[in-house]
Amino acid sequence: MDVQPDLDLIRTLKATGGDTLKMCYQCSTCAVVCPLSTDGNPFPRQEMIYAQWGMADKLLKDPNVFLCHQCGDCTASCPRGAKPGDVMSAIRSYAYTFYGWPKPLAKLCANEKGLPWLVGIPTVIILLMWMISGGMTIPSHEEFAQHGYTQFFGHWGFKWYAKNIFFIVLIMVPSLGLALYSAWRGLTTMWKAMRKEAGLEGAYRPSANQAWKEFIWPSFVEILQHKRFDECGEQHNRKTGHLPLMLSFIGLLIVTLWSLFRQDVLGLIYPSLHGPLPMTDPFKVFANVCAIALIFGIAVLWSNRVRLEKDNKTLPTFFDWFLIWEIAAVGITGIGAELFRWMGMPVVGYVIYFLHLVSIMMLFLYLPYTKLAHILFRTTAYAFDKYRESSFAKQ
Amino acid sequence: MTDEQGTSGAVLVVGGGISGLTATLEAAEVGKDVFLVEKNPSLGGRVSQMYQYFPKLCPPSCGLEINYRRIRDNRGVRVYTMTTVKSVSGTPGNYEVVLETAPRYVNSNCTACGACSEACPDEVDNEFNFGMDKRKAAYIPHEMAFPRRYVIDKEALSAEGAEAIQAACKYDAIDLDMPAETRTIRVGSIVWATGWNPYDASKIENLKFDQSDAIITNMMMERLASPNGPTKGKIVRPGDNKEIESVAFVQCAGSRDENNLRYCSYVCCMATFKQITYIREQYPAAKIYVYYIDLRTPGKYEQFSDKLMDDKNSFFIKGKVADVIPEEDGGVTVIAEDALNAKKISQKVDMVVLATGMQAVQALAPLPVALHTDSDGFIISENEKGMIAAGCAKKASDVVTCTQNSTAAALKAIQISGR
Repeated sequence: MDVQPDLDLIRTLKATGGDTLKMCYQCSTCAVVCPLSTDGNPFPRQEMIYAQWGMADKLLKDPNVFLCHQCGDCTASCPRGAKPGDVMSAIRSYAYTFYGWPKPLAKLCANEKGLPWLVGIPTVIILLMWMISGGMTIPSHEEFAQHGYTQFFGHWGFKWYAKNIFFIVLIMVPSLGLALYSAWRGLTTMWKAMRKEAGLEGAYRPSANQAWKEFIWPSFVEILQHKRFDECGEQHNRKTGHLPLMLSFIGLLIVTLWSLFRQDVLGLIYPSLHGPLPMTDPFKVFANVCAIALIFGIAVLWSNRVRLEKDNKTLPTFFDWFLIWEIAAVGITGIGAELFRWMGMPVVGYVIYFLHLVSIMMLFLYLPYTKLAHILFRTTAYAFDKYRESSFAKQ
Repeated sequence: MTDEQGTSGAVLVVGGGISGLTATLEAAEVGKDVFLVEKNPSLGGRVSQMYQYFPKLCPPSCGLEINYRRIRDNRGVRVYTMTTVKSVSGTPGNYEVVLETAPRYVNSNCTACGACSEACPDEVDNEFNFGMDKRKAAYIPHEMAFPRRYVIDKEALSAEGAEAIQAACKYDAIDLDMPAETRTIRVGSIVWATGWNPYDASKIENLKFDQSDAIITNMMMERLASPNGPTKGKIVRPGDNKEIESVAFVQCAGSRDENNLRYCSYVCCMATFKQITYIREQYPAAKIYVYYIDLRTPGKYEQFSDKLMDDKNSFFIKGKVADVIPEEDGGVTVIAEDALNAKKISQKVDMVVLATGMQAVQALAPLPVALHTDSDGFIISENEKGMIAAGCAKKASDVVTCTQNSTAAALKAIQISGR
């Protein structure tokens, strides 16, 4: 076998939490104790040697990399302190950067050196938009009480489409659009590569309907139920944090879509629907429940990670912390903006709302390059895992 | 009772296993006075528990016996069994050592007739056989015990037992009021041949040693195969005495493992190959599975392993057993990833042998003297101080290496003592 080690891969992994990877001596304890690795596709022993030998091409086509839920069972049992869980995480980070597009943006998300840019870009964009919108004024107490943040970017007489919504859409839709396009590019490339690597190129191709029914939908169900999280031994309470967090994301997505529909469609017919939702509105109640679930979830995950790092069971990495910070920022600024609205403090409220927009834009714009990309990549890997085990692959 | 003996020219050897015996004899046979102390009631150490040992697969009687003979013939050697070192003071070349001898409760009248043992009603787990059978509270450690004298385990002895054994002894050899003795000796140098203990397998959580009788250690296998062992040499599954149709050897059980012993004990791979020959002797068609990370066959032993690896009923799987499931029927399923095929495999077997490593004795029970040790508890010799390590107290090694470095230790010791 002719192995040309990709030294850059090794260096990158070592710098992003996988500094212990060379300790591995291939005993395979990890693959046996891993509750998620199957008899036919054990991991992470194989991934460890690919990483040691700098075989990036193997790792990038390996669904197992994304099937790992980083529970740390392998790290706890590793006889050499090679921390396979951390190495797998570093490999995922590397893969997100690799499959990311545009490349410079993806690379910016790869380590802490990009942090000033990561915060700076959305800050500048939103600040510019705020200036352009002409709404860059702090409202009076009365205006604030009446409109809340719905006139953050000002308002115009054009009733068909609120100015505020126009600007928010102008900021967020391209951010999310770019992210989703990048994700689509990355995931299709990865899927093809995985198919080829698994020797499934000649296999029967499922129709879109079959793929949905047999691979994608069951993956969603499994993810919603957190079935694989349930398997984890070492850090079982991660589910306590992750499940409410995930559900709150789904809930807030629904609320956002409803808000959009209410303001932009129903609002045309009933102008009274503009403005902040009253506290008694069922969607407002639901949104607040979600916000609390989000804060609770991220607090659990935050404290888990602090404890693990204190016990030297994992290394602090930018990859992990950036997502925790991002989500915590979204939650805290979101709740904060609401609280200051109730308290009738427009100056503080506006500043916090501005930060809220910045943190949401960060979440959207960097979706495919940061740890948040696990939503896309892990779901795809679930579907691929079901595909490779299905009768389609066996033909 | 305290008396002083010895001179600054004498050597103290701590530990009467194969290393201590060797160092003792090498020093004594060039004319030195040697004190040999052994904490157990008989000499021979771990070697005496083996069925066969390398390099020639001899039984322990071969090797130990000749050494016992040499000790008996040498007027320069004094042997104290059931004795430990309490303290060491003084300076290199002129040490004063306090020894404490625990009471044996049997005096020199004993003829090893065995009447006390026969009469004794009290039984406890037999540590010589790792608890696989029982021994009496009045016992001789094993058939080859030297000195050949019975011992009373007073803690295990009931009041009726005490009466019974005293009545049974025709030679007035039992003295249940025997006190512990302390004696002070003067020596020039000390050879530490404190030896090793098998690593405690119950500490290796995922291998579930405590959860099934079918999971044994390699040292237990030695006892099972030994003619003087709990089954008279018949290798059967402890607990239900089932004959063995399949057996799995788990290499590096707790070795090369940060969570247990960090180092390689050097002997376990060859011990497993040796034990394969034990099994083949009795079960020519049994399936043998060996799970390993790396197989280490030092020196010329590769020829030995090659021959055994040719066997069509022996399977060698590269992958450490990381999970074990005790089964209803008394068997055990071992789980490993076959790293060469990248598939996880579960194999059900009748018996599992954990190839556990060697742990320095002083890693668990600190010595009375502050010796220089490495982080794993192995002693680093300080020759200029006359504190010299020998055998497995120095590093995990096989008998050949032990006798070599014990000879070297004796040479260092007599140089200090001769000053």
